[in-house]
Amino acid sequence: MKQNSIVRLLKFTIPYLHIMIVAAICVLLVNSAQLLKPYILKIVIDDFLIKGKPEEGLYSITAMGIFYMLAIVIGSFLTFAQVNLMNYAGQQIISKLRKKVFTHIQYLPLSYLDKFSTGRLITRATNDVEALNEVFTDILINLFRDVLLLAGIVFVMFRMNVSLAVISFIAVPSIFLITKFFKNKIKENFKTMKSLIGQINGFFAENISGMKLVQIFNRELEKQKEFKALNDKYFRSTMFQVQMNSLLRPIIEILQTITIAILVWYGMDKIIGGTLELGVLYAFTTYIKQFFEPINDMAENYNTIQSAVVSADRIFELLDQGAMLEDLNTGISIERLKGDIEFQNVWFAYHDEDWILRDVSFKIAAGETAAFVGATGAGKTTIISLISRLYKIQKGKILIDGLDINDYKLSSLRRNVAVVLQDVFLFSGDIKKNITLNDEIAEQQINKALELSCAQEFIDELPRGMQEPVRERGSTFSAGQRQLLSFARAIAHNPAILVLDEATSNIDTNTELLIQQSIENISANRTTLVIAHRLSTIRNADKIILLRKGKLVEMGNHEELLQRAGYYKELYQAQYA
Amino acid sequence: MKSHKTGKNRMIIDFLKQYWFRYILGVFFLMLSAYVQAYNPKLLGIVIDLLDSSTIDKENVLYNLGLLVFVALLAFATRYTWRYFIVGNARNMECYLRQRLFKHFQSLPMQFYNHRKTGDLMAYAINDVSAVRMAFGPALAMTINGISLSAISIFSMIKSVNLSLTLLALLPIPVIILAMFKIGGMVQLRFRKVQESFAAVSDRVQENISGIRVIKSYVQERQEVDNFDALNERIKQANIRMVRVSSILSPLIEVCFGVSFMLNLIYGSSLVRSGVITLGDFVAFNGYLAMIMAPVISVGRVINLTQKGLASYKRLREIFEEETDITEEIADKVLQNMEGGIEIKNMSFKYPGCEDYALKDISIKLEAGKTLGIIGKTGSGKTTFVNLLLRLYKLEEGSIKIGGRNILKYTLESLRSGIGYVPQDNFLFSASLRENISFFKDIYTEEDIINAAKLSCVYDNIKAFPKGFDTVIGERGVNLSGGQKQRISIARAIIKEPQLLILDDALSAVDTKTEEEILSNFSRILKNKMGIIIAHRISAVKHSDEIIVLDHGQIIEKGNHKELLEQKGTYYEIYQEQFKEETARRMEDEAK
Repeated sequence: MKQNSIVRLLKFTIPYLHIMIVAAICVLLVNSAQLLKPYILKIVIDDFLIKGKPEEGLYSITAMGIFYMLAIVIGSFLTFAQVNLMNYAGQQIISKLRKKVFTHIQYLPLSYLDKFSTGRLITRATNDVEALNEVFTDILINLFRDVLLLAGIVFVMFRMNVSLAVISFIAVPSIFLITKFFKNKIKENFKTMKSLIGQINGFFAENISGMKLVQIFNRELEKQKEFKALNDKYFRSTMFQVQMNSLLRPIIEILQTITIAILVWYGMDKIIGGTLELGVLYAFTTYIKQFFEPINDMAENYNTIQSAVVSADRIFELLDQGAMLEDLNTGISIERLKGDIEFQNVWFAYHDEDWILRDVSFKIAAGETAAFVGATGAGKTTIISLISRLYKIQKGKILIDGLDINDYKLSSLRRNVAVVLQDVFLFSGDIKKNITLNDEIAEQQINKALELSCAQEFIDELPRGMQEPVRERGSTFSAGQRQLLSFARAIAHNPAILVLDEATSNIDTNTELLIQQSIENISANRTTLVIAHRLSTIRNADKIILLRKGKLVEMGNHEELLQRAGYYKELYQAQYA
Repeated sequence: MKSHKTGKNRMIIDFLKQYWFRYILGVFFLMLSAYVQAYNPKLLGIVIDLLDSSTIDKENVLYNLGLLVFVALLAFATRYTWRYFIVGNARNMECYLRQRLFKHFQSLPMQFYNHRKTGDLMAYAINDVSAVRMAFGPALAMTINGISLSAISIFSMIKSVNLSLTLLALLPIPVIILAMFKIGGMVQLRFRKVQESFAAVSDRVQENISGIRVIKSYVQERQEVDNFDALNERIKQANIRMVRVSSILSPLIEVCFGVSFMLNLIYGSSLVRSGVITLGDFVAFNGYLAMIMAPVISVGRVINLTQKGLASYKRLREIFEEETDITEEIADKVLQNMEGGIEIKNMSFKYPGCEDYALKDISIKLEAGKTLGIIGKTGSGKTTFVNLLLRLYKLEEGSIKIGGRNILKYTLESLRSGIGYVPQDNFLFSASLRENISFFKDIYTEEDIINAAKLSCVYDNIKAFPKGFDTVIGERGVNLSGGQKQRISIARAIIKEPQLLILDDALSAVDTKTEEEILSNFSRILKNKMGIIIAHRISAVKHSDEIIVLDHGQIIEKGNHKELLEQKGTYYEIYQEQFKEETARRMEDEAK
């Protein structure tokens, strides 16, 4: 059964229970100090100011003043201590949680991650975790404090005077109901406001993107009108919010005053009768005011908890995928593969039975270069993702050096297979970091990789060479340069098997030649699989594999295939003759 | 100052001119509310005094209790009123500014949008406008409320209680305000650190997830977690450090006010005992002190809100000072029709801030009823050519004339309304298809819309949707294919029955057959009108009366399809290349 998110959140606090207990004791003392203050005032008023009792030693006005001050000083110090203790514990928990979420994202298989947009995953690790921050640092302890404070106030009031206490609580149910009524309205309206501001946001975004058209088509006025309608709607909802907020607090204050008036009116006869001291009555007026704060607080905390639970649910949904995490470390460990690859009747689908590959079989001997050719969607990119087990196949077998890839230790398999995607991803940092990633690679090996991949030339021309900063996603480099860098990255890691997707995007002729040279260099001495777009690459391949709609249709080298006069020949003649 | 000339900088003044009265009313009720509230402690004091006498005057007590409730009601009414006027007016200002900003954005030229991100511009409309509202609403109200409440409380304290007691009790307040500035500054600094580390964490996660394939392929998971943990540790420490200072503030304020309460307790009671003040005064005094406490505590928040509001106001002012360089200073005539043809003479253009010419020395004539084809690589200046014709940029060198008259001399609206433009990026609004074709103007009949859809070969597609023309597209609706979007954009342009139709590479995503059909429809609609077709594909321009080949902003070849092929130049090369591709593509299509 799925455990309640709140309970699961609370479990995170167990390692910090000792800190939380100390904080709870602080809160207890702070509350006592809070309750003591009106009581001290009562003693001063009743005993010294009304009855005029003689002062002696600690039983004096000055001493009471000092007690009062002490209560405040101690209360303040303990508040400070409690806030810091809880924050410390809370931050530890949050930090742990954040790391856990991030680690999970790292080890979840692509087949699972593909289901989420990048934005949603980022939200899990950042905003959703942050939303829980408050639960641990504030909400838990405040809830504890508020409940205790309420209980304390009720207790003291009953101790001081039962009938006055009963009268004071007449107002409680109505206050509770009114608060609830308004808070609900405010909450509902807040949702409307949020959705409207979202629409305004969208409207602005859309109009900025489409500004050129609006101007060319002279539709400024129409769009202004449309925006005004939206903006006015938002204005009305904010005005409702202003009004509701302006009503809630003052109404509670009126109720407070009415309660006080009733209390005084009721107490008056008792004072005349001598059964009630004036100081008690005064203390009650203070307690009534104190009473409303925790109620209000709790109402607010309730909302925060609700939104925190939503975040918690989402985080746990991710954390509950523990069984799916990729295990990098069990299986056959191998330092270096030879590079024989065999597909045996491989079937693969990203979803259910949407077969992307149907019964594909082929063999590539170590050291060979194989070119995959076919239209978009034929399954070329899928094949290269399967070799390093980024996805698991549903039927058939993939063998490397005669062993099923599922039997290898995932980390040694992937270290032996370098994948270069068409859409090259560069990390922010510098060039060197993008080549070595987080691994330690000898300078010599890096230089060799740069040379082989033909990236040396343009890197040397950069003002800071290998230390040249790389911006987010490598936006300062051209597509061709990015591709060369990713080749260098792959070669620096010296893989036994190289898998690459040739770039097709606009690349100037000079870089194009470099890329060709580079592919030739780096494919020597290792098994290489290329999704090829260039004729030269295809022609040089030892083996050409033609795919069509997930099926292998033809296989052989250039001459063989041309002789066969099949699909390849048709394609070849259409494009290159 | 610039603002005098443009008047654009007067956003707040203009607003106040219109709505100042609400502020006056608001401030009036706010002060009234403070005044009324100040009766509260006093009345309670009076009641205490009445109860403290040996013979209690019941009626008088009842009267004062009644007053107490009455004051509370009055406080309620005045408070509601001032909030309605001041806070509500700030909301009004928010919407006013946003509306004005929207209008202002519409007036800015493309040049402005080129070097700004949409997200940044939206920040003005949402965050900055909101910050200005907070300064003009809550912050302003809190300031006035705090000042009047404190002033009245202090005045009442002195008048109804005692001067020396008052002065003594107010002693800690300067200390509090000083501490608040000091600590507040520190909190702000440390809070910024927290935000920075949070942003760093977000960036790292974002980059990591985007590059997850690379990470997995190169087995970098463990190192990535380690790297992340370093940032994670940083955000934790930043948070702990921030709370360490921020948690000092409220206990400190409490202690300082504690001193005031203690002084009142000790000194005040001695005054009661010596008969200088009554017990009621003593109680009232306590009440006044509590009343001053609230606004003092909020000083920090007020300062913070005001600072943010001012910063945002400055940003908004800057954006409002942006001006368009596409002016109508010499425009004195409405362009009726374009029968006189278009003549471009020695047109050269550099994008502001660029050194290289995007277009150089372009001269060309286009007569009514003719079509011009433009072909060239990405970045050869094709779109720039159209941008200048549409007056989206200011042309500095050379001239464009329509009917022999410089286009600068026509009103912008009349110039643009004669042109039907289909952009390259086929941008559609998330609205219904009908609205996208009529483009939010309700002057077109159903027939017009259907006809436009038919001419652009998208009618059948639209009819296939369950909701037809009412189908909503975009984020909350149906996704259209690239080709469908392009044809909707074409419908949007031809429904205007333009004198000049411009297709900016707008047929790239439609298949060859549909392309031919649309082009033949064009030749019918464009009988006496002009067309400019920009394309990558030869097939889209080959029927044009004249074709120019652009390269690096210059016309390198000119002529009709046949002539250009005979020249065996660039056009011929492109043709050869595309012909092959085309055959390959057809074969692929047939193989499917």
